[in-house]
Amino acid sequence: MTMDSALLGLAVAMPLALLAALLAVPWLGKQLPVLLALAPVPAVLAAILSTDGTTLSWPGVLAINLALDQPGALLLGASALLWSVAGFCAPALLGERPGKGSFAAWWLLTLSGSMGVFLAADIFSFYLFFTVVSLAAYGLVAHEGHAQAKAAAKVYFAASLLGEAFLLFGLVMLAAAAPSLMIADAVQAIGGSPWRDAAICCLVLGFGLKMGLVPLHFWLPIAHPAAPAPASAVLSGAIIKAGVIGLIRFLPVGDTPLGWGEVLVVIGFVTAFWGVALGITQRNPKAVLAYSSVSQMGLVAAVFGMGIVGAAASMPVAVAYYALHHVLAKGALFLAVGIVAAYGGALRYLLLPVAAIALGFGGLPLTGGALAKYAIKPELGYGWAGLLGSLSAAGSTLLMLHFLRLLAAMPKPATAHRFKTSVMIAWAAIALAAVALPWILFEPVTGLRLADALTMDAWWKAIWPMAIGAALAAAIFWSRLQLPAVPPGDVLHPVGRVLVPSGARLALAIDHLESRTRQWPVAGMLLVLIAVSLAVVMAT
Amino acid sequence: MTVVVATTAGGFLLVLAIILPVTAILLIMALGGRWLARIVPVALFANLCVSAAVAWLVARTGEPLAYVVGNWQPPLGIALRADGISVAMMVMTAVIICAAAIFAWSEYSQRHDEPEARAPFVFWCLILAIWSALNALYLGADLFNLYVALELVTFAAVPMVCLKGGAATLKAALRYLLFAVLGSMLYLLGTVMIYGAYGSLDISMLAGRVRAEPVAWIAASLMTMGLLAKTALFPLHLWLPPAHAGAPAAGSSVLSALVVKGSFFLVVRIWFDAMPALRDPAAMQILAAMGAMAVLAGSVMALRQQQLKLLIAYSTVAQIGYLFFMFPLVSLAAPQAMWAGQAWTGGWLQLFAHAFAKAGMFMAAGLIADATGRHRIADLGGTAQRMPLTTLTFALAGLSLIGIPPSGGFSAKWMLLVAATQEGQWLWALVMVVGGLIAAGYIFMVIGKMLTDPSAGASFKPVARYREIVAFGLAVAAVFLGLLPLEPLEFLEIGRPVLAVAVLR
Repeated sequence: MTMDSALLGLAVAMPLALLAALLAVPWLGKQLPVLLALAPVPAVLAAILSTDGTTLSWPGVLAINLALDQPGALLLGASALLWSVAGFCAPALLGERPGKGSFAAWWLLTLSGSMGVFLAADIFSFYLFFTVVSLAAYGLVAHEGHAQAKAAAKVYFAASLLGEAFLLFGLVMLAAAAPSLMIADAVQAIGGSPWRDAAICCLVLGFGLKMGLVPLHFWLPIAHPAAPAPASAVLSGAIIKAGVIGLIRFLPVGDTPLGWGEVLVVIGFVTAFWGVALGITQRNPKAVLAYSSVSQMGLVAAVFGMGIVGAAASMPVAVAYYALHHVLAKGALFLAVGIVAAYGGALRYLLLPVAAIALGFGGLPLTGGALAKYAIKPELGYGWAGLLGSLSAAGSTLLMLHFLRLLAAMPKPATAHRFKTSVMIAWAAIALAAVALPWILFEPVTGLRLADALTMDAWWKAIWPMAIGAALAAAIFWSRLQLPAVPPGDVLHPVGRVLVPSGARLALAIDHLESRTRQWPVAGMLLVLIAVSLAVVMAT
Repeated sequence: MTVVVATTAGGFLLVLAIILPVTAILLIMALGGRWLARIVPVALFANLCVSAAVAWLVARTGEPLAYVVGNWQPPLGIALRADGISVAMMVMTAVIICAAAIFAWSEYSQRHDEPEARAPFVFWCLILAIWSALNALYLGADLFNLYVALELVTFAAVPMVCLKGGAATLKAALRYLLFAVLGSMLYLLGTVMIYGAYGSLDISMLAGRVRAEPVAWIAASLMTMGLLAKTALFPLHLWLPPAHAGAPAAGSSVLSALVVKGSFFLVVRIWFDAMPALRDPAAMQILAAMGAMAVLAGSVMALRQQQLKLLIAYSTVAQIGYLFFMFPLVSLAAPQAMWAGQAWTGGWLQLFAHAFAKAGMFMAAGLIADATGRHRIADLGGTAQRMPLTTLTFALAGLSLIGIPPSGGFSAKWMLLVAATQEGQWLWALVMVVGGLIAAGYIFMVIGKMLTDPSAGASFKPVARYREIVAFGLAVAAVFLGLLPLEPLEFLEIGRPVLAVAVLR
């Protein structure tokens, strides 16, 4: 085993090893910041050092195959970096409440799954890691323990299970048509399978739910704000990217029918604007950020779909590059909310860099966001899709200005935590990475010239949507327009009002039916009836 | 035509597997209950070794073992035959019975120098009798011997339900007894008809003789219904929830993990081995439809329970349902045949995974009840803090029941799902996935409660560490079954040439 492939294994195994150590040696609980910061380090190293195409196959019966490619490395590295910083900040931001030990346990378990999905090369491991990252994050969402967090965790759990079910169905159809369980083989073989469209549909639903594509986004604005800030950061930054890597791995350019690309474009743009429209009605800065994630993932889906339609081989890398910026920037913003909530006074240091990062989602020149937006321009093209992309940037600007206003107006904490300089330094690191990494990686990853991204023409294309967004924000602000207060999760509430009672009624009906079958005469009759029908169907 | 069955090397082990526990029971009866502590461990260990030896022999040779008692050829003599599935069942039974015995050891201890007590005497005799009868069921090669074994299982299992005494458990036991006897009658009736029509009860002879004709149809449906009543397949499950919830924890484990599987095993024997010619697709769909109803109704009912043991019992009703998807999915008709091996292994894996998970889960519930004296799910608060290992046991067993990887339950469901989608039997695939979702609901309902703070007035008495470890071991075994490769297991096809051919694509 080479050093490269050892790193892949460590990326997944290190969090689990630390989890075991934490359970075995309680003393380690005192060193949580260091422990949680170290856990993703092998993954960071793997993303930087391991070469494209490194693979690792587990020996023995449990067939786990890991592999690293460029889109995977981008998402893995950025996510691991965010996990590391958020993990370092988490113990301080959680405050002096009990339950840190179990929080760390859920954290490490989720981390292992989160790293695993970016590396999984076969269907079984992918499903395994996807399940781990989805279900273990339940513990992160439920951590606060109050009624709202519990309700949010329930919604999260139900939604995750639904996503798992879609995914399982899709993967089963894929696996059955495939010569081997390796993802690369399976997606090629699916073309000839009669279940091709059914399989792709299930996969899109499963991954779409994880990414928060409308209408399966309902859980995201409920779950992400309910979690403690460091957990929100990794949920919105890293964990939802499991859906992005899923699309990249299972819907390759060239093998995916173009029609599915068109479907994704439509869903993606609807989601991009839906997130903005509902986001500006929110009063909680974390809910605004969650809706911004919905919107951003919508744009990612649209770019992905355009890539499929246009058979653009460069699309997966462009999507991963765009998502890399989202990992770091959204993580930094959620952490900033947590820091302000904990320390209050920190706002004056944070406001300016937070504003720069936030407006990066609108395409503010010189930020990482501007480069990310530039990198997806070729995929969107310069027709109506390009125009919609620019308009979504206007929407993002509006949404981020709304966020900044709410952040600035956040109430001072009643009991200020002890201010920790180390937390501020860690935050500065992730904020810097959100700007610097897109700059550093721009040319080597996207293959575009940096100089082209800095021309007046490019600047103009970035600035006019921002101007529209800012004008809209100003208009809403000055007109004192009262937007309706839509509860986070929007569509869930009307649908839930129908589904929950009818589900309860159905369960009650089954209960009645079942208690009837437990009466002797009924059971006896059924026995005779089934015996007769068995004999009769054999006779006919 | 006479089928010549020859005793194979090591065939005597099959006889030992049946008579060893019986000998132990006779010894206990002759010497008195005070000798329990000396006889029972020896008998259990010896029979465990016998099962292991049988498994080793069959795995090494890849051929079934056979023994012809007194060298009298069937149909006159009694033949015992151990093919792949019977050996797998034997090993599973041996492991779970021994685990249950260790778990129950202190609860039903009888010291040599103390006066004889009723409960330990009855409990150990019943455990040994169940083991012997189940082995007879797995190894029997003729329908009447199987009837005898089936009755023995029933009469050993029923008293286990009312071991604690009390009106409620007595009522549950009576319900169980009546329904099981009804089942036996139906089975016997079918057997008699078969004998009248074909002049033999030997399974391998019947396989060649039974044709699709009225007498066979009626006999097969009577026997099947009798067995389904004993397996508690929905809607014939009325006796199961109170019976399995009322028995002592070790007893519930054995009943839920093993006893209901015994009659299921016979359903498979009848349809796949004795009367393969009758495997009409529509009839198989009826069995699967009952299974699907069991999965849905059992899971929903589990979700609605307030007593932990009743929840687990209803989960058994649901999990039994999955087993019946095997019948339509293991099909030798041309296009489906290439998936038969997947479905076959998936079905058996579901049986084994459920057995280990459910045994571990009932033990975990028993430990919690011992520690707190409470049985309601609402009173589970604080369990995770005070009994972390038992909580973990419940969670791991739950993972397998839901079908979350890596676990035996996941592998089983995966293989059944692959077969179902490829054969175009979408409905069953959908039911399996929905059943998993509801199972996740009831398992996490319990675990969520365990993770909350203790409710007022809750106290936890310490329980023996070794009992917690036994339950944990069983749950881990259920998870470890998930490490098997996701492909047909050759071992389960030993002694079944037809299926083996079908699997070769």
